Amino acid sequence: MSVNNGKKPRVGIMYFTSCGGCQCEILTLKGLLTQLVELVELAYFPMGSSNNSLEGEFDIMFIEGSVSTDHDLEMLKLAREKSKILVAVGTCACFGGVQSSKNAEASLDEMLRYVYGDKIPKIVKALKAKPLKDYVKVDYELPGCPVSGKEFALAVQYLLNRLDPFLPKMAVCYECKQSQTPCRLKGGNMCVGSISNAGCGAPCTSKGTGCYGCRGDHEDPNYKELVNLFRQKGYGDRDIYNFVKVFRGNYVREKLLPYLNLDIPEPSDQRG
Amino acid sequence: MAKRITVDVLTRVEGHGAVEVIEENGKYRAKVKIFEGPRFYEYLVVGQGFENIPRIVSRICGICYVSHRTASARAVEDAFGVELPQELEALRRLANVGAFFESHGLHIYFLALPDYFGYGSLLEMAKDYPNLVERGFKIKNGGVEIMKIIAGKNFHGENLIAGGLATLPTKDELKRIRDLLEELKEDTLETLHLVDRLNHPRLEVEREYQMAVYNPHRWCFYSDRLLLVGEGEETIFTKKEYEIFVEEEPVEYSTAKQSRVKGKPVLVGPLARVNLYRGKLSEETRRLLKEAKTVFPSANPFHQNVARAVELVEIRKMALQWVDELLSDYPKVPHVKLKPRKGRGFGVVEAPRGTLYHTYEFDENGYCTNANIITPTAVLQTSMERDAQALVELHSDKSPSELKFMVERLIRSYDPCISCSVHMFRL
Repeated sequence: MSVNNGKKPRVGIMYFTSCGGCQCEILTLKGLLTQLVELVELAYFPMGSSNNSLEGEFDIMFIEGSVSTDHDLEMLKLAREKSKILVAVGTCACFGGVQSSKNAEASLDEMLRYVYGDKIPKIVKALKAKPLKDYVKVDYELPGCPVSGKEFALAVQYLLNRLDPFLPKMAVCYECKQSQTPCRLKGGNMCVGSISNAGCGAPCTSKGTGCYGCRGDHEDPNYKELVNLFRQKGYGDRDIYNFVKVFRGNYVREKLLPYLNLDIPEPSDQRG
Repeated sequence: MAKRITVDVLTRVEGHGAVEVIEENGKYRAKVKIFEGPRFYEYLVVGQGFENIPRIVSRICGICYVSHRTASARAVEDAFGVELPQELEALRRLANVGAFFESHGLHIYFLALPDYFGYGSLLEMAKDYPNLVERGFKIKNGGVEIMKIIAGKNFHGENLIAGGLATLPTKDELKRIRDLLEELKEDTLETLHLVDRLNHPRLEVEREYQMAVYNPHRWCFYSDRLLLVGEGEETIFTKKEYEIFVEEEPVEYSTAKQSRVKGKPVLVGPLARVNLYRGKLSEETRRLLKEAKTVFPSANPFHQNVARAVELVEIRKMALQWVDELLSDYPKVPHVKLKPRKGRGFGVVEAPRGTLYHTYEFDENGYCTNANIITPTAVLQTSMERDAQALVELHSDKSPSELKFMVERLIRSYDPCISCSVHMFRL
């Protein structure tokens, strides 16, 4: 596993605005982590270590979280500059996450005023929660809320061996069939598994809830048909929108809203 | 010369924060500066249907998602006038046991211990202290497995819903939890023994107020009342009165609001809980405390680490009893049906870091019209600042680099969950 002419590869785990859950998931991987510290130089991992340095080049940088402040953005640009491979880890880094669920309907100013009144904190400049790829080139995306530990471990092993991590995009329905989980939509749950990217092993549907689509869309999502199915089951358009937007705030407007009879004006900071 | 101690980026904590202690006219003034990006949770849930709320607020925190799900589910159930049968409450509390093992295990071993042993991280300790690293993973991942069995995933398990669980764990799964808890017995005792005998920095800070969820008989995860002790008085109040006692205010140097009781800091979390419940712990835990070097009640914030270990010993025993009860009286239904109605509900739980408060208002169709969440880290900011001042004052003879390290350790001892603290509500 020699990448840098015998020198240990330099790896970092950085995080922006998020819940820290992806790093919690990573921290469960005892076998991987104990081997990793032998094989690579884990030079930057503030949540797990107090010896951190951003000096020099990085072979791989993993980033959790959305870009939600000017500080996040500054760090992202720095990380991109310094890293050969940049990997977005988790739904916030890949799509913006739950914190972007109202991006299609509200401006940043409305959100700030709702929360802080006229005492808006000055320590950072807030930005509307966006995925990393809106600002820099992202080499690989590992979606999931949180990231799948298995996929993370696989990606690490592939990347250290200079292989492309192969992560197929197929519907969650496929994994429900594999695990013989009865269809949750037919059973009366709201479920967006039919448009969502599998790879998680469908743990939510096998526990009896619908899929919330935390891993984003698969390659050919059919939103129109999904809306039809929901309506046939008796769900109103508002409930459909509320359910779908939880993890898809940054793209419900163009993908879902054309099929719904809802009048949601574009927020002032999205127009033009 | 005026002294200035700054920690620009706190490491081995969850989230993004900094600390600054400045000397002004012979007095020290500390600021915990939180620059985590705001995520507007209270705004995100407004307009949402009640079923979606636990799922959304779960994402406030990866480490203590079970606490957020529990508090929000209880608030929804409260608003709709529903109580869960005992066995579903027991399952919910078991998920919280998992969360405490994961969170306290993570803090004690991964975040705090490297300071006491002079390393940058737990992973760096693997060569010299393989047993400690092994035990840290075992306790933390044991908790993760319990959470996964009940909640369906390691983190953000969607099986925890308002009304109970989407599906019940099988009897075999409950037996697995029982085995796990048995396997963790020695590890929790060893952890307490270890943390109790560590060399904790010296610091005594007199607490005006300490607070925890109230139960007249035993340490507990949640109830509908709270216990506030301070200024020579014991006050018991209901969850509906929480915002009367705990007042929040925004400050410019932090994206998290600060909270006070009657204008003063209030201690919540493991140390407050063990201080307040020390007489009501199980006989075995009390015996262990008698033998311990650390004396409770304690005024030293560094003893929060010992208190965490005490809690693991105590809740492990409680959990075993719940599992046995569940195995002999297996639940009949996974959840109770919820019928929306107009009104407001409250949910107060003890999260690993302290008292956590959720409240929501709903319209007659179950859509949320207003929400407020007060997290323990938001409540603890003022205690952290006051302790940092006291620490620098007491150890002012030390070099700036030593002081900086001590301040960082102090803040870390609170195990701040910075992401949690940043998601304010409308005034």
